[in-house]
Order: sequence, then C-alpha cells, then structure tokens
Amino acid sequence: MNFPRRRAVLGVTAASALLALTACGGNVGSDSSSGDFPSGPITLTVGQAAGGSTDLIARTMGAGISDQLGVPVPVVNKPGANGALATKEVAAMPADGSNLILLNASLITITPLAVSEDETVTLDNLDVIKGLSQDDYVMVASKESGITSLDDLKKSTKTLTFGTTGVGTGSQLAQALLLAQADIKGTEVPFDSGSPALTAVMGNQVQLSTIQLGEAKPQIDAGKVVPVVVFSDERNTFLPDVPTALEEGYDVPVSQYRALAAPKGLPEDVKAKLVDAVDKTLAEDSTKAFNEKNLLTPKEISGEEVVKQWNDLATKYKDLTEEYDIELSSK
Amino acid sequence: MDSLQPVLDGFGVVLDPTNLLYCLIGVVIGMLIGVLPGLGPAATIAILLPLTYGVEPVTAIIMLAGIFYGAQYGGTITSVLLRLPGEASSVVTVFDGYVMAKQGRAGTALGIAAIGSFIGGTVSIIGLTFLAPVVAGFALDFGPPEYTALALLGILLVATISGGSKIKALIAAAFGLLLATTGRDIFTGAERFTFGNLGMADGIDFVPIAMGLFGVGEILYNLEERHRAAAVPVKVANVWPSRADLKQSTGAIGRGSVLGFFLGILPGGGATISSMAAYAVEKKRAKDPSRFGRGAVEGVAGPETANNAAATSSFIPLLTLGIPANATMAIIFGALLIQGVTPGPQLIANDPELFWGVVNSMYIGNILLLIMAIPLVGVFVRILRVRGAILAPITALITLLGSYTIRNSMFDVLLVVIFGAVGYLMKKFGFEPGPLVLAFVLGSLLESNLRRSLLVLGGDVGGFFTRPISATLLVIFVVVALWPMVKAAFDRRKSSRHETSDNQEVKENA
Repeated sequence: MNFPRRRAVLGVTAASALLALTACGGNVGSDSSSGDFPSGPITLTVGQAAGGSTDLIARTMGAGISDQLGVPVPVVNKPGANGALATKEVAAMPADGSNLILLNASLITITPLAVSEDETVTLDNLDVIKGLSQDDYVMVASKESGITSLDDLKKSTKTLTFGTTGVGTGSQLAQALLLAQADIKGTEVPFDSGSPALTAVMGNQVQLSTIQLGEAKPQIDAGKVVPVVVFSDERNTFLPDVPTALEEGYDVPVSQYRALAAPKGLPEDVKAKLVDAVDKTLAEDSTKAFNEKNLLTPKEISGEEVVKQWNDLATKYKDLTEEYDIELSSK
Repeated sequence: MDSLQPVLDGFGVVLDPTNLLYCLIGVVIGMLIGVLPGLGPAATIAILLPLTYGVEPVTAIIMLAGIFYGAQYGGTITSVLLRLPGEASSVVTVFDGYVMAKQGRAGTALGIAAIGSFIGGTVSIIGLTFLAPVVAGFALDFGPPEYTALALLGILLVATISGGSKIKALIAAAFGLLLATTGRDIFTGAERFTFGNLGMADGIDFVPIAMGLFGVGEILYNLEERHRAAAVPVKVANVWPSRADLKQSTGAIGRGSVLGFFLGILPGGGATISSMAAYAVEKKRAKDPSRFGRGAVEGVAGPETANNAAATSSFIPLLTLGIPANATMAIIFGALLIQGVTPGPQLIANDPELFWGVVNSMYIGNILLLIMAIPLVGVFVRILRVRGAILAPITALITLLGSYTIRNSMFDVLLVVIFGAVGYLMKKFGFEPGPLVLAFVLGSLLESNLRRSLLVLGGDVGGFFTRPISATLLVIFVVVALWPMVKAAFDRRKSSRHETSDNQEVKENA
C-alpha cells in the first residue's frame, strides 16, 4: 500500500521540478539555451472549435510531435473569426518553439477578400514549419434536382439555389467563381457550416451546395446527394469519377490546405528540430491512416513552399474576383 | 418476431462487462463535466477521442454517448442548486428549480428531474428503436421556412413562459434579440456591434450571458441581501419527492417525453425549443399558472424530461441519415468515421450490432444514471447547507472557469463579469433574465432562417404558407398569440350574460 503512494509523491515532485525548469526556461531560453529545445510543453493552438477536421488534424499532429520530442503537446482551441483571433495571438507569442498554430489556408487566401483590412491575417508574422494536407471541395446536387453534371447546370432554366458554408470560405469562393465563369444563374444561400448545408441539399431545401469532401462523402456513397464537380487541380483520389472544374474549362482552383506554423523569428536549430519531428510524424503509418480515413490528400511541402503557394493563391483569388466582379461580402 | 432478433443481440453486446464499464465511465464523466458550464460534452468528447482509438467501435460509441446524456443530467444539478444553466435547454429548469431549492425542496427538484430524465430518455429510446426510420425524414423536411416558423413560435413561448411584469419581460426579450445580432453577419460579412474587436466577430456565446445573468447576478444580489438580514441557512427538507409531487408530475413527464422526442430530431435548436414548449404547455394546463416561477414541480419535470428525450432522439438523424443534429453529434460522427463506421442510411443494414448496441446502451446508461443520481441527490443538496460566504466564491469560480473553457479566452471571462453586473441590475429593477437569454438563443435562429428562407423562396413571403409544415406552425402561432384575447372576450361575454358575481374568478392570465 505504501509503495504506490510514495511513487505518486515522487511523481508530483518530478512534475513540479519540471514545472520549475520550464518556468526558468521561459525566461532565458529565447537566446542562449535553444540548444536544449524542447525544455517544456509545446502548445499547439487551433483557431477552430474542438471536433472539427482542423482540430482532429491538430490532435493527430500534436500526439505525433509529442512522441518525437518527448514533451507534452497540448492542443488548445481558441475559436473566433475563422481562426484570425488565434493566429494573431500566437503570432505575438515568443518565438522559442513552445507555441505552434495549425493554419487553414483559407484564412490567408480567401478571408481577406471578405473582411476589412485590419482584420486580415498574413503569413508575415509567422514562420511556417511544414505543409500538411489538402482537403477538397465538392459541389453536390440533390437527387430531386435531377442535376448530375455541369452541363445539366448550364442547361437549367430555373434559378437554382446554392448553399455555401459561410461568407469568406472556400465553399463560397469556389461556387461564386464557377457560376460567374459558366454564366449560371443562382441564388447563394449561406449556412453556418458544412453539415447544415449538406442536410439542406439532402432535403432539397437548396438544390446544390459546395462543401468539403470529408463531410459529403458518406452521403455521396449512400446515393443521397449527387457529386457534380470538384474544385481541386487534379481529380481527387477518393472521388476519381468526378471531373474537376479545371478540366471542364473553368479556372477555379480552390482547396483547403493546412500547415503548421510558429511565431516569426524561430531560431534555426529549433525550427530544424520541429521540422524533423513533423516529418517523422507525417511518415508514421498512423498519420497516413488518419489522412486516408478523413479523405485528406497529403500535401507535405516545406514551409517556404507553403508561403509561396498561399501568397500566390491569395493574389490569384483577388485577381479572379476582380475580373469577374465578385464580392464575397459587403465589407 | 424475426425483426426483434438484432435488437436482442444488441442487448447481448451492451451487457458485455467491458461495454458496461465504458458506459459507466462515460456517464460519470458526463455528469462531472455537466456540472462545469462551458466545458460541454462536445469539447470533452473531442479531447477524449484518442482514448477510444484502441477499443471496439461499439464500446467507444457507448462511452461517448454516455458522456453526452450524462452531461444533460449534470447540467440540471447546477441549474437547480446554483442557478447556473450550462445549456440553453436547461434555462427554463432554473425558473422553478432554483426557487424550489431556496424553499428547501432541492431534493424534490433533483429527484423529479432524475426520474423525468430517465422516463423521457427511455421513451425516446423506445421511439428510436421502433420509429427511427419512419421519423428520420422529419429532419429533412425542415428547411429554412420551417425553422423560421418554429423560432417565431419559440419567441412567442418566451412571452408565455415568463412570470411577473409582461412589459419588463418584453423589454428583456428585446434586449436578448439585440444581443443575438452581434458579430459578423453570416450573410454579408458586415460587422455588427463588434467595435473592431476580433473577439466579438462570432458574436457572444450563450454561456457568458447565461452564467453572468443568472449565476453572477444572483451572487451579487445575495451579497446585498446578506447585509440586510442575517444569513439563514437553507433548510433541506424532504430529500425525496413526495407521492403528491410524483402524482403532480406524471402528466408533465408524459407530455415532456413526447415533445422532446419529436423536437429533438430537428438539427439545431430542437432541444431548447422542446424544453421551452414543455414548460409553456405545463403552465397553460395548470389550474393556477401563477404557481409557475414560484416553485412548481411540473415546471422542473416537464422541461427536464423534454430535454433528455430530445438529447436521445438527436441520435436518430445521426444514426439513420448520417446528419449530426448538434456539435456533440458531429464529433460522435467523426469518432465513428475514425473507427471505420459510416453513420447513415446503411448503418442498420451493414452494422446492426453497432446500431443496436449503441441504442441499447442508452437503456442501460439511463438506468445507471438513475441509480447514481438518486443517492447522489442527498449528497448534492448538502451543498446548500454550505454558508453563502463559502458557496458564493465557489460558484463564482465555477462560472469564470466555465466561461474560460469555451474557447480558452479571457475575453469571455470579462463578458461574464459584465453580464453579472447587468444581471444584478436587472434583478434589482424587477427584470427576469429568462426572457433575455431565451430570446437571445432564438434570435439568431430566427434571423438566419428568415433571411435564408427569403433567399430560398426568392423573396416570396407567400412561400411560408404554401409549405405544409411551416403553414401549420404559423397557424399554431396565430392561435397561441390570439387565444388569450379570444378567451378574455369570451369570458367577458359569458360573465355579463350570467350576471353572476363570481367573475373575480376570471383571470386574464395569458
């Protein structure tokens, strides 16, 4: 009976010693002792609520990085303003590697088209560590609408209703660009998120919606909704029979990408260690199985490539919306 | 009966000791987090998800479902004892539950809530067992116009529900509607009352408003009271509901079960409206509606039964259609996917063991919950014997901690404090927080669905009346709205015709 208790006491002592160490590390760590990174827990902040796909990705990565570096990596959810709140907060934290954020590309590339300038988030204050994966958007139609292809859409004489997952999302942008380029008449109906937009299509409350593949796939497989088009550059491996907007002749390259980032100014060796831990996590079978199950296409590119691609996309989307005179919001 | 075989096999699955253990763990965790407002079942399940990777899918879901309905009951405890409704669906429980606690009848309130929850949950599971495929389509028939009509009806109920001054209730409700408009407009992206603060971009969460107005407001008000009169510790009499209480609640529990079952199927807002509707129905049916808000036991029994029944029936769209009805269901959906199970139309056919295992685990979970809750009532009511000087700071701590956990932000804590001050002033000037909070919840439902309806209907308001469900709901709305006037006119004519002196009986209690 005595033994476990003593062990517990020992554990508590060790934990408080660790805590003390961490506290010290926070003070002096930024310049001199980055060699012994990581000296304490690494907090991974997520700008979305617990349970969504972004959060699940963060938890998978967090667990993997924790295994690689041997320190706890707690995931902290700070939802608000599409993730802008959390991103701005993390960008202002010390750049010692103990704070990470899981970024959604749409926050950088699409949301700025819909919000005022002082609320936009850029990659300027962040060090991107690694690109993770790509999540594609698919436009689905209700069975009652009789629409099965883009041609059906173009031929339709009725004014159709199109659900989106909200203002300033990839769903809205992709759909608006396609409708403008293909000259399809339609009313845009924003929903709060993907699930109600999908439900509305199932009940034929709206005829079409553009949502993320992971959400739509079970209903596509069950034959409850009909996939019309995907918005990725290439056909999605999970939906090989559905054409892309690009191959149908429309310039609508919209996907959701995710990446890990830290505050700007990360010491080189700390960044190297983090990149290494992330690379090893991505190589794990469990991570691959996770991507497979959540219908995520791996997009494991370096931080520099992420910055270049996302900034290029931001410019491209801006040009496209100007060209076709699309306004995502009434800012 | 061949078709019953899978159902019975499902019981075999649940009675497996491992599954029973996980069910128990889930229910206990659920009750604990239910006590802490803010940290809801959705976040808890998300955090505990990795624990379920290593176990069988059915075991995992049994535990997660246990957390969900355990939390429903945990929320009741804080609503009754501390005036802290952790979820929108338990706001109406506070009205009579907290008053009962102050009268020393906390045990009765908690006991009735436990029994009502058990019966409501069980009725709903029986409904789920036999009616799931039939009623599932109900969720799809509800489009934006139907939700608009439902929200309108709900807002009308707010007026019916509140006791006290009608004018003050209206003012409070109008303020609630105003609060519901804060945040980025989800249709145009326009900033509304955000004052350039990113923390306000998504509007205000329910928890800081409810915690502040009810919880902190009450604490502040009591502080003032204590200076005037010496604190009288609450007597905790009759821990068990008496036979009379039970008899009085029977009808309420029955009606609450049915209301909760059907409204719970609706994704978004179903549970909240079901508890409000249950309360309104009981108040309407009562011989003396003025008892409500002053410790009427049916005022606890009805809504508590309804919100538990709704929690259970919210599994129907998930398991039969693959539609998550609320945030918690969305996470359970994700958990099922990770386990390689796709919830949806084929689930019953492809995976009968899982489907019936989960359904039947709810019978067991509800029984476990009842077995645990009843003896614990005695423990919980003792909390009320704690002196105010100690209890108030603890309550404040729970409130602040709870609001912090919503999104790990100090901004929400600040909001609780602000709404606490508002709640105190409201109480001081005779305003009820109930109408404000309920109108706040329904306001965003009404606004977004009304605007969505008009988009879908192409701006044609007539569309509301050509769709059968929304037309029916609007007719009910008109009847409920006009009934008091009609009744009053009718009563007046009757009493003048008879010219009897008993017209003091006629009360215009709408």
